[in-house]
Amino acid sequence: MRSMAPPVRMAIRALRANSVRSGLTILGVVIGVAAVIATVAVGSGARDRIQKQIASIGSNLIVVLPGSLTASGIRLGTGNALSLTEDDARALAAECPSVALAAPVVRQAQQVVAGVSNWATGIVGTTPDFLAVRDLEVARGAAFTWQDVDGAAKVALLGETVVRNLFPAGGAVGQSVRIRNVPFIVVGVLAPKGQSPSGQDQDDVILIPISTAKKKVLGSSLASAGAVGSIMTQARSAAVIKTAQEEMRSLLRQRHHLQTPQEDDFTIRNLEDVFNAQESSARVMAMLLAAIASVSLLVGGIGIMNVMLVSVTERTREIGLRLAVGARTRDILLQFLAEAVVLASAGGLLGVVAGLAGAAIISRIAGWSIVLSGPAILLAFFFSGMVGVFFGFYPAQKAALLDPIEALHYE
Amino acid sequence: MDPLIEVRDLTKTYSAGAARSWALRGVSLSMARGEFAAIMGRSGSGKSTFMNIVGCLARQSSGVYRLDGIDVSRLSRDELAAIRNTKIGFVFQSFNLLPRTSAIENVELPLLYNRTVGSTSRLVRARQALAMVGLEGLEGRHPNELSGGQQQRVAIARSLVNSPEMILADEPTGALDTRNGVELMAIFQELNRRQGITILLVTHDPDIAAFARRVIRFRDGLVVDDETIRRPRDAHEALAETMPAAGVPAGADGGSR
Repeated sequence: MRSMAPPVRMAIRALRANSVRSGLTILGVVIGVAAVIATVAVGSGARDRIQKQIASIGSNLIVVLPGSLTASGIRLGTGNALSLTEDDARALAAECPSVALAAPVVRQAQQVVAGVSNWATGIVGTTPDFLAVRDLEVARGAAFTWQDVDGAAKVALLGETVVRNLFPAGGAVGQSVRIRNVPFIVVGVLAPKGQSPSGQDQDDVILIPISTAKKKVLGSSLASAGAVGSIMTQARSAAVIKTAQEEMRSLLRQRHHLQTPQEDDFTIRNLEDVFNAQESSARVMAMLLAAIASVSLLVGGIGIMNVMLVSVTERTREIGLRLAVGARTRDILLQFLAEAVVLASAGGLLGVVAGLAGAAIISRIAGWSIVLSGPAILLAFFFSGMVGVFFGFYPAQKAALLDPIEALHYE
Repeated sequence: MDPLIEVRDLTKTYSAGAARSWALRGVSLSMARGEFAAIMGRSGSGKSTFMNIVGCLARQSSGVYRLDGIDVSRLSRDELAAIRNTKIGFVFQSFNLLPRTSAIENVELPLLYNRTVGSTSRLVRARQALAMVGLEGLEGRHPNELSGGQQQRVAIARSLVNSPEMILADEPTGALDTRNGVELMAIFQELNRRQGITILLVTHDPDIAAFARRVIRFRDGLVVDDETIRRPRDAHEALAETMPAAGVPAGADGGSR
């Protein structure tokens, strides 16, 4: 420790003698490290949020949509919007071994009235399995049952947002709401889920039996064919999601009598596919910031090297003197290396502080959550020290190998 | 006992392209411990080159140099550094103190490169060295707060701090006025008499050389005269005679060790 402390003390003294220059020199490192810290904080915050949202939509969820949803090119499938049926849903649950549950879904936006309040919300007609597939829970009251589906009972499960808007005084269960002038009894209220990854309010919804929806609420086109808007299915585990998708695809092709050259008249998506896009854009952003970070670290390192070279030249006589009074090559090398490392580490430290502050500001302004990662902070700090070693070595070596006499008489 | 310095047929050439210039053309001399010698000569006479080789800052082109019985031409760069650190103290014309660094820290500098000295004894020895040159109380001053004479005394304290065998002084009075120059010689004479430190100084000023007990004259890379002075001038007397107004510097007459 004693052999290490004097070089560091000397370094700090030498740097403070030129504090403005030292400050400007480390800016590059500060910016680089700050960018790394902010990137990691915001990036892992985003990943965290996406993962939470995916989990909130339902675990192992696979969605089957009618027609082709592929954006590129014109697909004939678009006209076939009614290609999925309730029978498809039943078949998927019964015949695909990797599929645990399958809930047919029809949706429509409707104005809902309760007493003097009214509210536009999404009406979802489905089966009791929907709750399990979407990981929904009933907070108060009870879910509707299979008997309700069979009997087309006029019962409804309300999301929290709907309850808040229609029953500001509370006590929704047992009350009646009118959907398209059809009175429904509220049998239960769903536990709140918050926002979906796409920013939708998942609590702004009313669930009713699919049979009731078709007969009483929806327009005639859907009501007639036994068609459904989508089928929400749940794979038995995360590991078999791909298998389940394959099984579902071949079953549906078979049921829809599709020959080999014909394209699917449905689309199967799992949520990972959906949010991989989001995550990959976040990844691009992170890579961009990482590139900025490494470039500014590089520039900062070159700046340090430059200033160290200037410093070595300015202090040639000092180096000559030190050599004359017995400094070994290693002593001089260590002294200037210590200066470069102290410089870079100070930049790293300031960068960490600036990065954390930046991340906090971003999260405040953009409303993004941030996750602070200890290892990332240590790594960034360590890396800035390495920048000092790497870019400080050449100037330090130049200083250490000076000829004592030439150095002493340097003008 | 071996002489402290023994050189035989020492040459030093510098080659600039095809041309070859001789700084030393075969110098032989020896110095015993406890001598006080002055080297004189015009610029280009080879005296500075000789000092650099004796000070282990440069290597000869041919010939033998034994310091304390050691053939230093065989030593590595770092081994030479160790010899400079422990056996030799340097005093330069331009003081060469570190700016923005207190007197005591300047004096401590050689001790930083001496592995055998811990941080507490470093401070003690630096204080002692400063006291020896009459600068007690000024430990915290920076060079720009000291007079030229005081700065050169800090430099002498720095050269003393590792208890060297000899002090090599290259034109030590060159940047000082006459009075400060004589005071400096008084310090050298004290160190030489009381502590037996060998002193070798380069000067072109005969008045300064007169304080030495031996004067070696260089010309064109050769020793042309090597004279022992039986009764050198005494710096204290010189100060008392010529400049009665000011006394002898406090620490110079009492090497308090």
